[in-house]
Formats: sequence, C-alpha cells, structure tokens
Amino acid sequence: MACGSTSLWAGETTWFCCGSAWGPCGSAGGGACGTCNSSAHQAAWPNASQSCWNITRPDLCGENMARRGCGSVMNVKHQCSGATVCVTVSDCGPRTQSFCGESTCCNGACRTNRVIDLTPAAFSAIGNLSSGKLPVYIYE
Amino acid sequence: MSHRQNDPGRRGLDRRRFLTTAALGGATIVGASALGGLDADAAFAAPMPSLDPAISRSAFAEGRITQIKGSVLEVAGSHGDQHLIQLTNATSIWKLRTTTADQIQVGDGLYARGVDMPDGTIAADAVWVNIVNLYCTVKGIAKDRLHLAHGAQDHAVVGHIVADTTTASYLGGALTSDLSRVRIGQSAQILGAWRPADDAIDIARVTVGH
Repeated sequence: MACGSTSLWAGETTWFCCGSAWGPCGSAGGGACGTCNSSAHQAAWPNASQSCWNITRPDLCGENMARRGCGSVMNVKHQCSGATVCVTVSDCGPRTQSFCGESTCCNGACRTNRVIDLTPAAFSAIGNLSSGKLPVYIYE
Repeated sequence: MSHRQNDPGRRGLDRRRFLTTAALGGATIVGASALGGLDADAAFAAPMPSLDPAISRSAFAEGRITQIKGSVLEVAGSHGDQHLIQLTNATSIWKLRTTTADQIQVGDGLYARGVDMPDGTIAADAVWVNIVNLYCTVKGIAKDRLHLAHGAQDHAVVGHIVADTTTASYLGGALTSDLSRVRIGQSAQILGAWRPADDAIDIARVTVGH
C-alpha cells in the first residue's frame, strides 16, 4: 500500500523499541501485531483494535482517531522541518490517556497529546531520538 | 540560524557532501549543530532537515558494539546482521548527554543514522549510545534512584538519578531538576542511557503523566 497524502491526524509522536533488541528493549517482543521491529519504519497506533483502544483510551484526551489495524500505512511528517517517513502499523500505542494535555512545540506551534509511536528507525528519519517526542502531522 | 540554514534542500545537500567528505578523511572540523544533528534537552523537537533529497531514506543501524577500530564501530545487529559505523567530524554522539567518541565502549548498544558509503560502512550523522525511551510505572522512590516497571510483563528496572543531568517534565511542562512531584504509581516516560554492566538506566529525563 502506498503512503498517501490525505490528512488523518496530528499530535505528538514518541518512540519505542520492539522486536529483537539490546538492553531493556530485549523484553519488548513483536508487539500487538507480532511483526514489530525497531529497525523497520513502523509505528504503534492507539486504535489498532478494540482491545488496543481499551488500553490507550485517547478519547479521554479528546482524540477520537479512526481505527487502523496492523499493516495500515501512514505518512508521518515533522510539523516544522517537513521531514517525512512512511510507516506501517505494527503495534498498539502510545498510552495516550496517561499523558493527556501534554504538548510538544516547534517554531511556536504546538501539538497536543500522544497520538502515534514510532520505532527508532522511523523516528530518527525525521528527528533526533534524544528529543524523545516530536510534533507531527499524519497522512494516509 | 542563517537564511541559508533554513533552506532544507541546501542543508541536506551540504550535509551529505560533508558527511561523505568527512568519512573520506578530508573534512574540516565544524560543529555538528550546523548540520542539524546536535542534541540537547533544551532543543525539544527541533526541526531537522531530511538528508539529501536524492537519497530516498537515510541509512539506519542498531545493535551492540563488538569492536572499536579507530573511528569505526563494529556493530552486531539484533537480527544477526553486521554494521560498520564510521564516525566523522560531523557525527553527533549522545550517551546520556551529548558527548565525544571516547565515551563509547565495546558492549554498548546503539542506534545510528547516516549515509551508506560505497565501501559498505555507514557514515554516521548521529549515534545514540545505549539510549532507551521506556514507558514505565513508578514503583518506588529513593534519594538517588527510581524503581520502575516496564513492558507487558512489568519488568523491574532501576533508574538512577544523575546529579546535574536528570531532569523532570510534568505533563510536557518545562524541564526542571526538581523530581519531588514524582509519585509512586504514576506513569512515566523514561529517556535515558542503559548501563550494560548492571542493566540499570541512568535517567536523562523523566516525563510524568497522570
């Protein structure tokens, strides 16, 4: 499936590790889809399934994004630099409800609430891992 | 930031040309920040231009360092792959904080971003050594450490508070060295550096949620 340009959502992205890995990430496993891999351009989506939604509960933060299951493709764009990365949904996350109201800004414009998690490979394609989070637009 | 640095295409081109030249040994030393690769906690979400638009995607590698030969890191990937990471004058290195190559050790884990070179190495734009970003629950609080649980299996991990380094952010607010508002039972995102020797973490930043 090609990476599209139809606006889907906007918010914060964080990063997470999965699959075979070193250190504490070694226990992460293949994620909700069983295919998650830190070295691949992949993502976790908070509405990957009903059971996923029940954990992440983005609606408690006013975020009611559509369901996009394992294998769905999204284009994630840094709000300020315009750098993009095409990712495949491979896990459930982030836990939006745990950080309701959190915002990340660049050039004076902010995005609120964690709405997508990227693997290290995907996140580093549009930003620096040491920043921990980025404001992004999401397309499909 | 100059007008020229704000031109993503120009920056990407310059950056790739510099990395390539640097890897071949002909670079003049300049600050990595000029290339958009310098990290700082204060630079939350700083815009970073893409690499050369002619490159469809930057190179990426992860794994543990098995050998260090001069400025080349030999890395065993977690999937059985092997990588040779070439550090250059332009490489931004992070290990709990922005640091220098002499802090990298055999046995460390890393993520590296860069450009594929003709000789099979990756000329690194940025290397993040032992970096982790874990969603945790705070299980205990001591003067110099947090006891944390992470992952579906609630794996226990100790997060060390490092003087003059560890900061806290409460719901995305400004960074502070005041960790007194961290509470047992809270959700927390731990950005830090894994310690291979004892499997603990040195905390760079704890972001506390609800």
